[in-house]
Amino acid sequence: MTTYILRRLLLMIPVALLVTVGIFIIIRIAPGDPVLTYAGEDRDPATIAAVRAELGLDQPLPVQYAAWLSRAVQGDLGRSFQTKQRVVEAITERIPVTLELGLAAIFISVTLALLIGTLSAIKRNSFVDLLTTSITLAGVSFPNFYLGLLLILLFAYVIPGNLLPPGGWTPLSTDVGDNLRRLILPAITVATASLAVNLRQVRSSLLDVFGQDYVRTARAKGLRERAVVTRHALKNALIPVVTIIGIQIGAIIEGAIITETIFFIPGIGRLAVQAIPSQDYPIVQGVVLVSALSFMLSTLAVDVLYAFLDPRISFGGSEA
Amino acid sequence: MARTFSRAIAFFAVLAILLAACSGTTSPGPAGSAATGAKAAYGGSVTFAMNSDISNMDPMLSGLFVDRHLMYAMYDSLVRVTPKGEIIPWLSALPTVSADGKSYTFKLRTDVKYHDGTTFDAASVKWNLDRYRLTKESLRLGELAPVDSVTVVDPSTVRVDLKAPSAPFLSVLVDRSGMMLSQKTVEAGGADFTRKAFNAGSGPFILTEAVKDDHYSFKKNPDWWGKAANGDKLPYLDTVIIKPITDGDVRLTNVRTGQVQATNAVTGKDVPTVKADSSLVYQEIAGIGYNSLVPNRAPGFTFNEKRYIQAVNLAMDRAELLAKGPAQGVGAVAYGSYAPSHFAYDASFKPFEKPDVAAAKKLVADVGKGPLTFELLVSSGDAATLQFAQLLQSQLAKADITMNIKTLLFNEIVTLQQQHKHPGMTLIGWSGRIDPDGNTYDFNYTGRPNNDSAYSNKDVDALLDQTRTATDQAKRKDLFLKAQQIFVVDDPSRIFYSYNAAQLLTAKSIQGFQDFPDQLPRFETVWVQK
Amino acid sequence: MSGATLPAVLPLGRQDRVSSIRYFLRKNPRMLVGVLLLAMLVFVAAFAPFIAPYDPVKVNIPDQLLPPSFDHLLGTDDLGRDVFSRVLWGSRVSLSVGIISVSIGFIVGVSVGLLAGYLGGMFDLLAMRVIDALLAFPALVLAIAITAALGPQIQNAMIAIGIVAIPGYARLTRGQVLSVRSRDFIVAARTVGVPPLRIVLRHIFPNIANPLVVQATLATAFAILAEAALSFLGLGPQPPYPSWGQDINYSQRYLANMKWWMSAGPGIAIFIAVFTFNFLGDALRDALDPRLRRSG
Repeated sequence: MTTYILRRLLLMIPVALLVTVGIFIIIRIAPGDPVLTYAGEDRDPATIAAVRAELGLDQPLPVQYAAWLSRAVQGDLGRSFQTKQRVVEAITERIPVTLELGLAAIFISVTLALLIGTLSAIKRNSFVDLLTTSITLAGVSFPNFYLGLLLILLFAYVIPGNLLPPGGWTPLSTDVGDNLRRLILPAITVATASLAVNLRQVRSSLLDVFGQDYVRTARAKGLRERAVVTRHALKNALIPVVTIIGIQIGAIIEGAIITETIFFIPGIGRLAVQAIPSQDYPIVQGVVLVSALSFMLSTLAVDVLYAFLDPRISFGGSEA
Repeated sequence: MARTFSRAIAFFAVLAILLAACSGTTSPGPAGSAATGAKAAYGGSVTFAMNSDISNMDPMLSGLFVDRHLMYAMYDSLVRVTPKGEIIPWLSALPTVSADGKSYTFKLRTDVKYHDGTTFDAASVKWNLDRYRLTKESLRLGELAPVDSVTVVDPSTVRVDLKAPSAPFLSVLVDRSGMMLSQKTVEAGGADFTRKAFNAGSGPFILTEAVKDDHYSFKKNPDWWGKAANGDKLPYLDTVIIKPITDGDVRLTNVRTGQVQATNAVTGKDVPTVKADSSLVYQEIAGIGYNSLVPNRAPGFTFNEKRYIQAVNLAMDRAELLAKGPAQGVGAVAYGSYAPSHFAYDASFKPFEKPDVAAAKKLVADVGKGPLTFELLVSSGDAATLQFAQLLQSQLAKADITMNIKTLLFNEIVTLQQQHKHPGMTLIGWSGRIDPDGNTYDFNYTGRPNNDSAYSNKDVDALLDQTRTATDQAKRKDLFLKAQQIFVVDDPSRIFYSYNAAQLLTAKSIQGFQDFPDQLPRFETVWVQK
Repeated sequence: MSGATLPAVLPLGRQDRVSSIRYFLRKNPRMLVGVLLLAMLVFVAAFAPFIAPYDPVKVNIPDQLLPPSFDHLLGTDDLGRDVFSRVLWGSRVSLSVGIISVSIGFIVGVSVGLLAGYLGGMFDLLAMRVIDALLAFPALVLAIAITAALGPQIQNAMIAIGIVAIPGYARLTRGQVLSVRSRDFIVAARTVGVPPLRIVLRHIFPNIANPLVVQATLATAFAILAEAALSFLGLGPQPPYPSWGQDINYSQRYLANMKWWMSAGPGIAIFIAVFTFNFLGDALRDALDPRLRRSG
């Protein structure tokens, strides 16, 4: 087990390097010159040259990458071109925001998935089941940026009394009530897409478990249906659900990108979306690195957890 | 009624500051007895929304218009400007200028301290100006280029010697190039200073908290030197919060629900709504900035041919673009680069007032190279600009001019036009400067960095040089207008189509908030009606 | 010589093929619904110029911002253009992005997966690290960055979405190949000296085609959503050409003024298109994989 984890961690290094090289090249292919933008309205040639040198952009690309990498391994991801803020600081001050949004969304989505998914698996082919299948399909098919806009329209503009604000953010530490008010709509938006996936997973793994021998045995023993479901079936069916939650935690940044943009939430996703077009290289590189690492680490955690929960799996074989 | 009233108070309050600043050097005007009608209240808080986040708090490194929102609250500059564009004393009295126009002597206030406790004096002025004009990566190099040396005469007197007379010189000291910061705090701040400029200024408010993308908080500077006309010590407010809110709808909703009490950015489509809302006060005056189409006039490009630009000028319908486009009538139709608040503005200058499709067609036919087709570069994802571009496209089509819209990322457009490689035209707005020079010289003079159209006209160059050396305002106006006739009509460098509006939307309880053509809020005179 | 002893795809006569498709659809009514939905989409995209009541790009200022009516089923936008016509035309962008980007992802991903799975060894190790790296990228950030790098044009959005889809195919294919590789008939083919490429193309590929078809259908749904998201962020086709995501971005600023119709049309259209492919994908999965049908 330890060997397995070590091997996986070791394999992460070349992958992380590939990711950083990849994003380094991609953002530098883009045709604009960031220096011109950051020099602002007054563009004196001497100023531009000085700014370029200060940002290190007058160096050859491999030198730039090596410089970035050597500092990155020491935990220094450079400074934003635009704001001169340390990238590490820019990311760490946004992590709580994105994390709060992501976890709230996962909480909503998993709770609903467990409730509806269990119901529909028990009452298979009933109205509830049909409804579930429909929600699932509709949920994955609805463009989540449009859903976000509709929610804003409904709660901020149509329903009188400004029930919920159309966007913006108040940190949890500043005002809990206002924070929650601003959290609801974006969290629902993010949750809708993953609800579909979670629901499908809960339902099908429950159905899978229902077909297993030990559930049939439990039923034959005369256990009441509720006990069968909660004590035996649900517990086993939860294994794949846990893995999905893990994967979703790893993909929180990804999931928040569009939603943070629509709701003007100062999280990591929005940071990335703003930094790419404005060619704020250090920010883009930093965000991609952090988000790739969190993805890989959570995938590993999920695999380990999976083995822990399901003794049928061992780590001998090839990782197909 | 309420609007005129609050405006009047604001006006007199500013006049009063002017007087206070002059401290006896000017004879007192009628303002002294004016503000008796209303008793301004101390205390309270105002939250102000701007339309995007700032990039930088260091006046030396700031390149964005929005940055200046904060700077006017926390920093003082050597001189300031009235809403009418007149330069007034601030940290310094108006300078005395030597006969050859090359030497400016500033007599400084002696009662000013920075928020960090250090004293503002002549040495501090020299340190600031030298920092702005001698630091390699300073963005103020261009503005301060005329300066040859800065000399401390005595602790309260500074002399600035110029390389050559420069009429617009004083006007740049109104803004970032003239803002005074504490050497101690700037140097202690190091690389982080750009975002954490705490206690660096001497302004009416002290920055207390800066949360990127969210809010900037200020508290009252109890030791500020400014006074209102009625003798009230300024500022009135205890706290000011400035919030960046990018989305127009979110911004407006925040104002309407009372979470924000003032903003200077209202989307055109929402103006009728806010005008009708009795709980809000909407002010709008002409700004100093303009919006323009920038053709690439470099050899080998379509618009090297000036008749094509004239044809576009003739074919477009400026009134419809303003009224039916994204502005929805906010702002004013422009023909040239001087706004109504500039002394060089000429209200009778209205070439291309009505679209003339036949004349446009004729010009294109005269060139004799078949129909005119060109590309307009538009920043991607910008819905309002896209609406404008598509409306323009349909107008030009009536004169058989094909304008293809191409969306590119903003940075690429900036790069292309800087290198004069954009194939057709781009859309550029300019936030404006108070001296007409700041709206003209860098954009039309051969080889200047902001001359994105690669424009070169010897007569314009000569005229613009003269505007810098001439000191008489009437003479300068005459020269500016002569140049404008050339770079707008005879041999166009750009197509000017609208002036910005300086908007100010406030909650009804907010008093003393005055609208300036430069669109920047001044909080020192603002108070909250209880 | 080998063909006779190994199971390959049987050649069917034209008549046989038609009737077997009919049989397949009759046995799977959900497939029928999915195919009908798809046919409707393709029809709209193909004949948009004939069905659309107005020119989708014609600016008509007097008709600015009209709410839905009989003249304009989905109202007009701020330039007086008919929203319904723009929605119909927009299907062309979405469908072509769906098909082309999925093809890019499919061809590259399946090739890499087949080779990695079949060859194994060093190639497998290296190729899969690259795939891992692609997977570790936040997909939307990668797509935005690629589109930004190549220029905000629709072809580039297609490429970006295609690249993002590669890991899915590659991993699926490789997994399938690994499980098929050791089966008797492949081992037999190898021992009798059938060239590797022929084994891969003729024997392995047909055996793993079913899950790939399902994956491709679902990926089309994802691609349409991704294109809408990119267009929404301003990285879609050049205006004034109609595109659903871009039109939503364009008109969302009017939502607060209760002018909802401009974004409702494209929003619902995206939903229908994505729903069609998801529905079809689900139906295909159930039809092609009897094991799944039983359990769920």
